[in-house]
Amino acid sequence: MKEFAYFPGCSLEKMASSYHMSAMETTKKLGVKLNELDDWNCCGATTYFYIDELLAYTLCARNLAIAEKTGLDVVAPCSACYKNMFFTAAHLKKDEDLAEHVNFALEEDNLHFSGNVNVKHLIEVFAQDIGPEELKRQVTNPLEGMRIAPYYGCQIVRPQKEKEDVEQPQFFEEIISAIGGIPINYPLKMRCCGGSLIISSRTAALTMVRNLLQSAVDNQAAVIATACPMCQVNLEVYQQQVNLEFGTNFSIPVMYFTQLIGLALGISHKKLGIGKEFVSMAPTPMPVDQVWGLPRKTT
Amino acid sequence: MTDTITFGQEISNLLHAAEGEPLKTCIQCGTCSGTCPVAGYMDNSPRQIIALINLGKKEQVLESNTFWYCASCYHCTVRCPQEINITELMYALKRYSIWKSRYQEGLIGPTFSEAFVKMIVRSGRSFEPVLAPSYIFSFKAREFMQEIQGATELLLKGRLPLLPARIKRLENFRRMIGRIIPMGGLE
Amino acid sequence: MDKKDEKEKIGVYVCHCGTNIAGVINVEEVSTWAAENLKDQGVVISREYKFMCSSLGQELIQKDIKELGLTRVVVAACSPHLHEKTFRNACKGADLNPYLCELVSIREQDSWVHTDKVAATEKAKAIISGGVSRVVYHEALEPLHVPIHPATLVVGGGIAGIQAALEIADAGFPVYLVEREPSIGGHMAQFDKTFPTLDCSACILTPKMVDAGNHPNITLLTYSEVEKVDGYVGSFVATIRKRARSLREADCTGCGICWEKCPKKVVDDVFEAGMGTRKAIYVPFPQAVPKYPVIDRVNCTYYIKGTCKACEKFCPTNCIDFAQEDEILTVEVGNVILATGWDLFDTRRITQYGYGRLPNVFTSLEFERMSNSAGPTGGNVVLRDGKTEPKVVGIVHCVGSRDKNYNEYCSSICCMQSLKFAHLVKEKTGAEVYNFYIDIRTPAKGYEEFYHRLLEEGTHFIRGKVAEISDATRLPAEEGKLVIQVEDTLTGNQLRVPVDMAILSAGLEPRHDSKALAKLFGISCSADGWLIERHPKLDPIATMTDGIYIAGCVQGPKDIPASVAQGAAAAARVMGKIQQKEIALEPVRATIHEEQCSGCRICNNMCPFNAILFHEDRMVSEVNPALCQGCGTCVAGCPAGAITGTGFSNEQILSQINGLLLLNVPKKQAVAA
Repeated sequence: MKEFAYFPGCSLEKMASSYHMSAMETTKKLGVKLNELDDWNCCGATTYFYIDELLAYTLCARNLAIAEKTGLDVVAPCSACYKNMFFTAAHLKKDEDLAEHVNFALEEDNLHFSGNVNVKHLIEVFAQDIGPEELKRQVTNPLEGMRIAPYYGCQIVRPQKEKEDVEQPQFFEEIISAIGGIPINYPLKMRCCGGSLIISSRTAALTMVRNLLQSAVDNQAAVIATACPMCQVNLEVYQQQVNLEFGTNFSIPVMYFTQLIGLALGISHKKLGIGKEFVSMAPTPMPVDQVWGLPRKTT
Repeated sequence: MTDTITFGQEISNLLHAAEGEPLKTCIQCGTCSGTCPVAGYMDNSPRQIIALINLGKKEQVLESNTFWYCASCYHCTVRCPQEINITELMYALKRYSIWKSRYQEGLIGPTFSEAFVKMIVRSGRSFEPVLAPSYIFSFKAREFMQEIQGATELLLKGRLPLLPARIKRLENFRRMIGRIIPMGGLE
Repeated sequence: MDKKDEKEKIGVYVCHCGTNIAGVINVEEVSTWAAENLKDQGVVISREYKFMCSSLGQELIQKDIKELGLTRVVVAACSPHLHEKTFRNACKGADLNPYLCELVSIREQDSWVHTDKVAATEKAKAIISGGVSRVVYHEALEPLHVPIHPATLVVGGGIAGIQAALEIADAGFPVYLVEREPSIGGHMAQFDKTFPTLDCSACILTPKMVDAGNHPNITLLTYSEVEKVDGYVGSFVATIRKRARSLREADCTGCGICWEKCPKKVVDDVFEAGMGTRKAIYVPFPQAVPKYPVIDRVNCTYYIKGTCKACEKFCPTNCIDFAQEDEILTVEVGNVILATGWDLFDTRRITQYGYGRLPNVFTSLEFERMSNSAGPTGGNVVLRDGKTEPKVVGIVHCVGSRDKNYNEYCSSICCMQSLKFAHLVKEKTGAEVYNFYIDIRTPAKGYEEFYHRLLEEGTHFIRGKVAEISDATRLPAEEGKLVIQVEDTLTGNQLRVPVDMAILSAGLEPRHDSKALAKLFGISCSADGWLIERHPKLDPIATMTDGIYIAGCVQGPKDIPASVAQGAAAAARVMGKIQQKEIALEPVRATIHEEQCSGCRICNNMCPFNAILFHEDRMVSEVNPALCQGCGTCVAGCPAGAITGTGFSNEQILSQINGLLLLNVPKKQAVAA
């Protein structure tokens, strides 16, 4: 039974609760245990680094120190949380002065970070720890040719950590193939969704979202799979606004990859948080399982 | 021995990860700006910002909206042939501009960031509704309405938090922050 | 340790080297100190001078030798690497055995590495003291003279190798020209036109190829590789594998019927850069030298299934020999010239440029073949479909070069090559051409003028390194095209330039087995893989190993004129050595003391040069002075301590240590901390 310290991140409580639900359900089914970190705090997203670097590192270090106590590696489902914690751990390990400063602050919460924590993104658990082979073995309801766009986004692979492929990785496609879907050729799969620009530079972000949606549609995607709550919100919640701004009429569902895995594993829609989608999948209400080639409900 | 410091050195000091002054090695090839998804919306492209910093043109840099438009997608960084961490540079410029309270008028980023940080200090967790006032009133009427509409739909779907979350050891958390930044400085 | 009975007369000379040494070390103080404190060691005179290596400096030494009867000389100056020979020759000029002169470095080992002037001066005193103590134990040695074999081995039949071979052969000396491919010619044979003159590459190359093929003094060994090299300068023995062509060259007329009739087509990814095909029996190109084809046994049906044999059926002279085996030759040569050229950077590594994924992205070599009228498209510039002419072409500079993510260096020729491509495209298709560059590098004769010509022809130059080449179109004007995304840095605009075809000017890389080549010949190669020259400024064609020379791109990216110049330079150097008929080898070598040798033979296998023989009758080993290189391995390895190295004897080393520690000096100077 593989076990990890689970850092959900602020958005998984409500905004991306379906990501959280589907993550818990799928990992449980595949024999991986996610133990939520005790009293974790916000990772700071991108915003904390706009104010003060030391403070931003401290925020992440607090979570890492809490994780260190459990002796487990940390898993974060959100790309921004993952990136922040990974690089905080890396910098603290390398820079003794920084570690000293940060640990001085952590003392106030009786915590200390020694640098012995590995940080993974949730999708890495499926791509590496579980692996596409095992995933395929466990699939009971393969997604029968559903055309899925693998949207990596930016902060899973970038910045580069070792010598991995940052331009054309294939691990997301491998997962999609393992669950029976067809990973479409998605040329913009590594491009940014705009992130917090949707608030601070709305037009710029809407343009970026529009390009992403257009590319998915051009390549006949039935659904866009994401691995980050920010990406999901930008691509789905703001789809309507993209249509209003540019006169387009996008109506493409954007699901979390864990929800798609869950469907393939035969887990019920309700347990996977399906039903909270924003984008109206059809002009008239239809039973969810008859639309867009989604497999039939199992329970 | 003068004790004036160049603008370039100031910026480098704000970059934790930098060793020395990496901006000096920029050959102005333009890969970063060619890659940047938001470059079309920036006054100056990332490459131009680096050129301006190297020339010491502080005013022009601070008057530009470039770094507030950066989405930190890191695409420029992985492609830069001189391995300059351009995204970190943008972060450093944001920090500098907030520290000096010098940024282009009308930008939402700075006020939004400050509100975000205050929110975390208050509760240790993010709570979207409390952020809204920091930006929504800068929106034009049409966008304002769209945002309200979006929020309402989120609420109906149960995706908008109604009550702010809090971490348990909030007092410790605040004191921890106090050891980095005196609390007075953040209010 | 016995001291010599009769004291030597030692002269000490301390050099200022301008301010290189004198700027840090107090040279006058050191010289005076040596005169006073090393008297007991035998120092009779101590001088300091601004530039000891100058003729006046050398004359100082010679004068003292003659007038004061000096028996030993110690010069404190730069590294022996630079001027050991100079001072040894100076001594020789005054009839003092050159090996009785010792050069100690107070520059590279002192003034250049320390900033504390007081400490550096004290250190200089210690270094000189060490040198003086040591030189007492030097012996008058005579260099060993070995003959230089007049034959030369040239490895690599590209333009540099051909040039070198022709020059040596024309001078009347025999040359073995070894080439891995079935024909000589190298990359130059693949090109269409050459910059800046736009000469047809094959037209200027083939006359030289033919000369090399016909030359009575050149033994052409194509489809061959060097497998082993033994020996040392003047007498190398190279083992060469001449791979089986599967036909008898003596009977082959090069008529071409065999490859005409051969039914097996193979993608030619060497000469045609994957753009065209050849047969399983083939010559790489029509003007191949030698004209004999080769059977590619990996793809030939006979070797795979045992059937076909069409070539044998149709050959009018019946020269096909399927059972032919590789031939192993050993040749004796005096010198070796390595001219093995370069490989193209693999553009698939830059995935955002889309080579291999997007059909109409081409590499530079692919374009050369396309443009060449003897190439797979008959000289027509067309898209991958083989027929459509592009209306807009983008040429990308600096692909895989000037980039820390791939190769940091500049590949030197790609700017000119890109300009050449722009010209060829325009000439053949009239298309709009865009060159995307960071800088335009046009340093040599006629190059800048060539750039101006391209400007006049209307090529669009956009200063910006291409960020991405994509087929994800957005606007109607981009439909069906490739989009080149770039920032035009001169105007500060991000551009999306729709093109039909993109050509990547890929960088030059060392051959992918260059490290193995370096090891085979016992020379060094850099971390990049380029072979290392003896001096980057003053000796680009010699290596640190005597007798091995390098020429052409194997030493670093360069254009054809530079490759030819280097080939000629290497040839001249070799010919100079051959003319001297013999070479003086440093007498630094090992000697085995018979009385102490126990006959354990441990040293026999240790010697990397196979220079130790064992005498069965006397049960002792002996070093062959001709083969010994003085590496010292056996000296260290002998368990009985029976081997000494001349020039590095125990007495010499231990006394130098004593000298460094100032143990033999009357008043012990406290070395400043």
